[in-house]
Amino acid sequence: MSARLEVRLVKRLPGFTLDAQWSADGGVAALFGPSGAGKTLTLSCMAGLLRPDAGRIVVDGRVLFDAAAGVDVPPQARRVGYVFQGYALFPHRTVAENVGFGLRDRPRAERERRVAEVVARLGLGGFERRYPSELSGGQRQRVALGRALGIDPALLLLDEPLSALDAPLRAALRNDLRAILSEWGTAAVVVTHDFSEAYRLGDRIVVYDHGRVVQSAPRAELLWQPASEAVARIMDIPNVLHGTVVKATPDRIQLRWRGQLLEAVNSPTRSYLPPPESPLAFFIRPEYVRLIRKDRGPADPGHHMNLMTGTVVADEDFGTTWTLRIRLDHPGPPAQGDYDLQVEVPHLVYEILEIDRDRHWEFSIHRGSIHVLPA
Amino acid sequence: MTDETLSALALSVRVAVLATLANAFVGIPLAYVLARRRFRGRALLDLLVTLPLVLPPTVTGYYLIVLLGRRGWLGAPVYAATGWSIAFTWYAAVVAATVMALPLLVRTARAAIESVDRDLEKAAWTLGRSEWRTALEVTLPLARNGILAGLVLAFARALGEFGATLMLAGNIPGRTTTVPLAIYTAVQTGEETMALALVAILTVLSCLVLVVAGRLGARAA
Repeated sequence: MSARLEVRLVKRLPGFTLDAQWSADGGVAALFGPSGAGKTLTLSCMAGLLRPDAGRIVVDGRVLFDAAAGVDVPPQARRVGYVFQGYALFPHRTVAENVGFGLRDRPRAERERRVAEVVARLGLGGFERRYPSELSGGQRQRVALGRALGIDPALLLLDEPLSALDAPLRAALRNDLRAILSEWGTAAVVVTHDFSEAYRLGDRIVVYDHGRVVQSAPRAELLWQPASEAVARIMDIPNVLHGTVVKATPDRIQLRWRGQLLEAVNSPTRSYLPPPESPLAFFIRPEYVRLIRKDRGPADPGHHMNLMTGTVVADEDFGTTWTLRIRLDHPGPPAQGDYDLQVEVPHLVYEILEIDRDRHWEFSIHRGSIHVLPA
Repeated sequence: MTDETLSALALSVRVAVLATLANAFVGIPLAYVLARRRFRGRALLDLLVTLPLVLPPTVTGYYLIVLLGRRGWLGAPVYAATGWSIAFTWYAAVVAATVMALPLLVRTARAAIESVDRDLEKAAWTLGRSEWRTALEVTLPLARNGILAGLVLAFARALGEFGATLMLAGNIPGRTTTVPLAIYTAVQTGEETMALALVAILTVLSCLVLVVAGRLGARAA
């Protein structure tokens, strides 16, 4: 089955080249990556506001752009809704006029019916005669959504839709936006530089870096299997570490790190088999490191694996969790500056174990919580 | 007031109004094109439009004679065909005032158009509007106050034009003598009462223009 959304773009600008390719099966695709990675440029090309040097853009089987075939549908005819960063509402038009702006060619009665429907569905009833300057940030976002959805677009593009809002509003509106997108069912592409936003909004996450797509995967797969160390760093994953391969099989990888022999699960789908003694990047999720209770006798090697001991050298309270920085007992420089591992524990655990008083611990990491990053 | 004073006033107002209208028709599209389009010769066009602002008005007037005079590039063929020349007619005063006022409108309107958020135009395109309709429905309405301020300045400039008008239209009492030229003549011939009356009228008009332009500018900001 061919994808609903197919994007292949090359655009050369002074000092920057966008060379991106990805596809999605409808739903919401989140373009995620640092600023200046080419995400907004991709949206501009998809909307027809910028002409790529090469490539092809297909939405639901409709070719919007094909450099080889000389197809370049103008933005007016693409039926692609665009929600701009900062919303770009027409300040001299009311809410109703903004929402109805794309419906000029329709008969008056139909236009009014459609505007009323969109306004009602987005909860903007009563605000029809207001001007954008008289609306709150959240209302403006809805008007921008309504204006883009009003034309019944084949594809909806959203550029950093939450960045214009204050932090407390952002979290609430992120959920609203997610609900609106799934309720309207329009295929959408959302640009964001915030991973939690990409994860909340996107069914698929496309990771951009320096004008290229470094990974495109369903969101759960991305979370558990970043394709490379570069992707893990863009996602800002903690505890990205470097070890040496001891032995690799299709389902296990043994590695050496800071004097420990660690065992990790290999990904059979990727069948990554680095040769022994080669360098290997991996990461350990801070919330999956287990501290071993001292009141229950010595650790059972049959039950616990990847056992290590170390000292808490710093801790930080994040409200519901504590983040501990642990330095292993092994001599030599620690892996991450003045510590080796970042570990996250719930408040309850922190209090029961009295970590504020007791700083030296033994801990274990299940092999399934050590993730290998292919080179 | 004498007939001469009245005719100078009537001519000045007529010339300024027509020059302002001509500015609107030529200057607003020019400002839009200079603000929003990239094309070959854009820098040259920009230079040509702006030059009358910095050249001495007599130099601009001289170029207009070279272009439109009885022996000018455009003027000669017209004269050969019809026996008519624009030089030393009141139409020439309109042309001179238009050219002299144009940079004021174009620069003010262009700045106003450039300050309109381009995302608004792009949004209009994705909603089905052509560039032409977008300019009419989005860009120009949002730049309205700046454009109006530019037109008011152009009107003021046209009302006070002296040098280029003198070169191209001459100073023919009752036919091409506008208020600034009448003031000059009155001072030269010692008719101080007439000079004073005309000076007072122009001063009041100019003050009014400044106030109106200031208000429009404040609303545009």
